[in-house]
Amino acid sequence: MTAAFIWILLTIISEVLFLSFDIFGDAVTEQGVFIDEAFVLLVVLAIPIFTFVITTLGYVLVKFRAKGDELEDSAPVRTHDKWARSWLVWTTVLCLVVIVHPGYTGLLELRKTNAEEPDLTVNVTGRRWQWSYEYEGRGVQLFAMDEMLILPNDSLIRFIITSEDQDVIHSFWIPAFRMKIDAVPGLTTYFDVNTLEIGHFNDDVNFRVQCAELCGTDHSLMFTRIAVVERAEFEQWIAEKAA
Amino acid sequence: MAAFFPLVRGLVYAAVGFAIGAGISLGITGLTGEPAKEPLIVLGYVFAVIGWLMGVGMWKAWGREWFGKSTSNNPSGGWERYLRFNTDHKVIGIQYLTSLAVVFLLAGLLAMVIRAELADSGQNLLTKTDYNTTMSLHGIMMIAVAVAAVMGGFSNFVLPLIIGAEDVAFPRINALSFWIVPPVVVMLLLSPLFGGFDTGWTAYPPLATQAATGALLFELAFLTFGISSILGGMNFIATIITQRAPGMTWGRLPIFAWSVLAASVISLTATQWVAYGLLMIIFERIFNMVFFSPPGGNALLYEHVFWFYSHPAVYIMILPAFGAELEIISHFARKPLFAYRWVVRSFALIVFLSFIVWAHHLFTSGMGENLHGPFMILTELISIPTGIVFLSALGTLWRSKLRLKVPLLFALGVVFNFTIGGLTGIFLADVATDISLQDTYFVVAHFHYTIMGGEIFAIFAAGYYWFPKITGRMYNETLGRIHFGLMFVLYNITFLAMFIPGSVGMNRRVAEYPPQYEFMNLIVSIAAFGLGLAFLPWIYNMLNSWIRGEKAPDNPWGAKTLEWQTSSPPPLENFHEMPKVTGDPYGYGDETVIHARFDPSTTASHQPAPAEGD
Repeated sequence: MTAAFIWILLTIISEVLFLSFDIFGDAVTEQGVFIDEAFVLLVVLAIPIFTFVITTLGYVLVKFRAKGDELEDSAPVRTHDKWARSWLVWTTVLCLVVIVHPGYTGLLELRKTNAEEPDLTVNVTGRRWQWSYEYEGRGVQLFAMDEMLILPNDSLIRFIITSEDQDVIHSFWIPAFRMKIDAVPGLTTYFDVNTLEIGHFNDDVNFRVQCAELCGTDHSLMFTRIAVVERAEFEQWIAEKAA
Repeated sequence: MAAFFPLVRGLVYAAVGFAIGAGISLGITGLTGEPAKEPLIVLGYVFAVIGWLMGVGMWKAWGREWFGKSTSNNPSGGWERYLRFNTDHKVIGIQYLTSLAVVFLLAGLLAMVIRAELADSGQNLLTKTDYNTTMSLHGIMMIAVAVAAVMGGFSNFVLPLIIGAEDVAFPRINALSFWIVPPVVVMLLLSPLFGGFDTGWTAYPPLATQAATGALLFELAFLTFGISSILGGMNFIATIITQRAPGMTWGRLPIFAWSVLAASVISLTATQWVAYGLLMIIFERIFNMVFFSPPGGNALLYEHVFWFYSHPAVYIMILPAFGAELEIISHFARKPLFAYRWVVRSFALIVFLSFIVWAHHLFTSGMGENLHGPFMILTELISIPTGIVFLSALGTLWRSKLRLKVPLLFALGVVFNFTIGGLTGIFLADVATDISLQDTYFVVAHFHYTIMGGEIFAIFAAGYYWFPKITGRMYNETLGRIHFGLMFVLYNITFLAMFIPGSVGMNRRVAEYPPQYEFMNLIVSIAAFGLGLAFLPWIYNMLNSWIRGEKAPDNPWGAKTLEWQTSSPPPLENFHEMPKVTGDPYGYGDETVIHARFDPSTTASHQPAPAEGD
């Protein structure tokens, strides 16, 4: 009973402490919001399991110690099938819960825009050690490493990603968007995001495209700064750039 | 000095072998066009390894037989038997453990270099290429330690003893599987001289095909290590099936033996896949064949082949660790292992599931989206049998009479650490969160929690537990406690802190990173340096106790498994009288269960007849 009480108390304290921290700040895409919420939910579910194990370990260490150094046997409890079965049921239930949500719901979330026509399509090509971008149908291409990738807020953006044929595998990751997918030579990959907020690399370092798959010497420097701006501002920028 | 003769002969034969291989290669490539460097290295290496093996004693112990001549092996006595091809499983176990301890410390020093570089966001200590090579070397050397310390080291020493056998089923193959490990280490350590390999231990092509020649040395080393694993796995399976003592039924098999059997099944089968993958990369490099590199090749194919081995491989590491952990918990709780049959079933289920979850490493690779769902579900299912291992550990501890010795402290450390390692695994099995966390420091922290916090802690538990049996001497308990305390606390600070930069946007395998993550990295680095120092009491304790430690009794722990029922250290072929198993090994508190009886009439076969006639 004492152990159960300690477990519940520890769990409540840990949950309250965890939930009172805002670890991520606001996510800036719909997909990112889902992913952050999934992360938080998984921590909330993991905490009681963690506190169960440490409570048991702590309780055992305090309560069930041999006296002195003599070899004294414990009562020979070999198994307790009822416990084992209920343990099995509980772990299975937890596992199924996680499979349904955020597992299955997450798959749906990531694919929900597949059939929609995006507001903007950006074709991305990786090569060692820089990214290049083409705003599809807008007559704008970005090559140089010091150029910023400007993206519109409040839009469905589709990134279509590959790597040059003689090049290696990269990974196209935008930490602020919580999304990444590999850029593979000979293969085209994609992901969609619905932007929700404006932001700029200078204010938040996660507004960057970062290569996330080891690609050799300058892998850590293979990044592009990003700014998400209001639509009108974006249209103005791209019109100037295309001219 | 004569003790080093086989090693010196091995090196000389290896040099001769290399010259022969390189000569053949030069001849062929020279006749057909430009002489090429990499085919020369490959063929030279193959012949050098053969020369090395023959030189260190395989010729005398085995090779002569192929030509109808007599063989000899197992020189008795002295420490020179550790420096040559020797078929005694206990000698091989010690050879593995001591060499891997050296590799572990070297790879640990590399980790210190990595943390020094990452303490600050800019590039300060190493060039970026050197950083990548350092990080890759740390990875593959620790992988080698994680696979071979428990399988090659402890399994070799303990498994035949714990099942009541005189040796493994194929002693000469066993010696072979050890003696091809030194070339692995040599090739890895030589690779920086050939431009290093900035590919990570995963070495995905096309990067691995295009990287400097150092990467070829890495591929050869990994392939050689794979052969060692395959042979070891085969040997342990055969040993457990055929060499158990009379009466050692499956239901009486100690849990450590079950875990080694489970890991060996993976080791034998899965490793062959990665071996093919590595061979194909070598062929891409030396023959310009096209398998994985576009145009013409498929880069994703390698990722599938690689992870079809490398995911099950983590279970080669962790299953015997679970086995050792549960074994130690039961013997130090002096209580039967809780839910033994459930654990055996869960090991079997883990082996089965381990083969069909590999593509969770590929959620962000661009593989078909239809594969995301099934691999997510299968991966999350593994939590169920893994949970049973925890049930067994906690159930055994509950209402027991714990003797809090160093081996048990480390075993409890495994329970604590692996809880964190297992729970954080769910974040990476879930597709949505994995898309965000893949390739970040969250993954690095997670796998250090499973492999270092889980397996390496279990290896230290096993190391202290079996130290008296292996060396015949006791370790120093106080130094062991200091080692555990420092390692446990500093390990947890290091790797708990590492989750944070990973969660908020720091990717792995980078020499430089945005300065916003500097503070957390500095904390990680400082704790990591402390963690490095935590191994000093261990090194001193092991060396000093081995030389000067108090003589160990045969069974210092009062444990019931068979390895404790013979002398410390055990004689050649293990038992003075052959055991007859009559019950399971966990009969604590129950006098009706007796694990084994020793019948003096069945003295072990190798022993000479008594000098005085009877």
